Amino acid sequence: MSEPVVDQTDQVNQARLASLGMMVAGISHELNTPLGAINSNHDVIERALNKLQVILEDEVVTQDELQEVRKIVRAMDGVLRTNSIAVERMVKLVESLRTFGRPDRADVDRVDLHEGLESTLAVLGFELAAITVDRAFAELPLVECYPNRINQVFMNLLHNAVQAMPDGGTLKLMTSSEGDRVRLEISDTGRGISPEHLAEIFEPGFTTKGGRVGMGLGLAITHQIVAHHGGDISVSSTVGEGTTFVVELPLRLPKDHAAREGGNDVVA
Amino acid sequence: MSSELNATVVIVDDEEMVVGSIQSFLELETDYRVLPFTSPQAALECLAEESVHTIVADFMMPELDGVTFLTQARSIVPMATRILLTGYADKQNAIRAINDAGLYQYLEKPWDNEALILSIRNAVERSRLFEELAGRVAELELANKELTGFKERWMQAFM
Repeated sequence: MSEPVVDQTDQVNQARLASLGMMVAGISHELNTPLGAINSNHDVIERALNKLQVILEDEVVTQDELQEVRKIVRAMDGVLRTNSIAVERMVKLVESLRTFGRPDRADVDRVDLHEGLESTLAVLGFELAAITVDRAFAELPLVECYPNRINQVFMNLLHNAVQAMPDGGTLKLMTSSEGDRVRLEISDTGRGISPEHLAEIFEPGFTTKGGRVGMGLGLAITHQIVAHHGGDISVSSTVGEGTTFVVELPLRLPKDHAAREGGNDVVA
Repeated sequence: MSSELNATVVIVDDEEMVVGSIQSFLELETDYRVLPFTSPQAALECLAEESVHTIVADFMMPELDGVTFLTQARSIVPMATRILLTGYADKQNAIRAINDAGLYQYLEKPWDNEALILSIRNAVERSRLFEELAGRVAELELANKELTGFKERWMQAFM
């Protein structure tokens, strides 16, 4: 192994760590809302129980206390409703994580790309709070790919799009298929990338000082993953208006994908 | 308790579970009338129709951010006290915006019910005092007007 290969492996590992970091931040934030609700509800149940115990202490229930009991029942009704929303949210999140990570899934699989996009959006959930997500999804055939790697592509592109819109905006996702290829377009209405940066955006190690710091490595990996799948990725951008990434993938992996993959771990 | 009667508290968060939890809590512990909203726009429309004492709003909402919402709410119900709920991640942005918008208080998510109820009680009390003050100022203005009229009539009668 020569020097540059070792460097590249380090870069890949760094990018994976960064991607993992994003995920962990996303998940903890996503869990925060339902946990906050359940935590508050737990406190409400405790308070309600105390009130009921006080009412039952003398074994005589007055009219005022009856009013109080009715109030408690109303509150409990609300607690049950919000708890079930919160639990459902957490179940969905765990389900998305399983789809996203898929440790049980074979390295190569035929997948519905929309599923990967949705689970990535779910993981990024909290970052999307101020953003409108527009989906223009076509019927897509299943795509043969390394699902975990493709999800990493989605994570990098969606995360970059979100980062470009700190004050909110619209994230547009369009999918289509033609012949033996599928096409995915991810557009943001963010700050955009200047032409001189656009030219080198997929170069390993590329970073900008001001604008979209740290996207370089992620995008270099993204580019490599797409290339290994026999696909193409391109970008167009207007400063102040937004950026669009287009990913095209073949329905089948290229015959030499195992060799391109270069073993199990070193993607780049 | 008497100050809780007829006091209206508006809760706005795009997450139904947050609005629902706070509503259940306030309904159990207070006599406030609680108006829950998951849409800030719908809340603004309602403010024009209601007499509102306190508004609690989330910061990160897709339709309208909490600070903008509370700034707009102020022009509709200037006497209502406004509280912002913020998540940890957007705390810095929120604090900057709070200072610009002159909000009463911010509370962090996940919130503590005891701190929440204390803030809301103080907020309601504050807007009640404003109302009372406005009432007294109006009374004074009326009295002043009557006195001026009396003085003018007196002057006309004797001079």
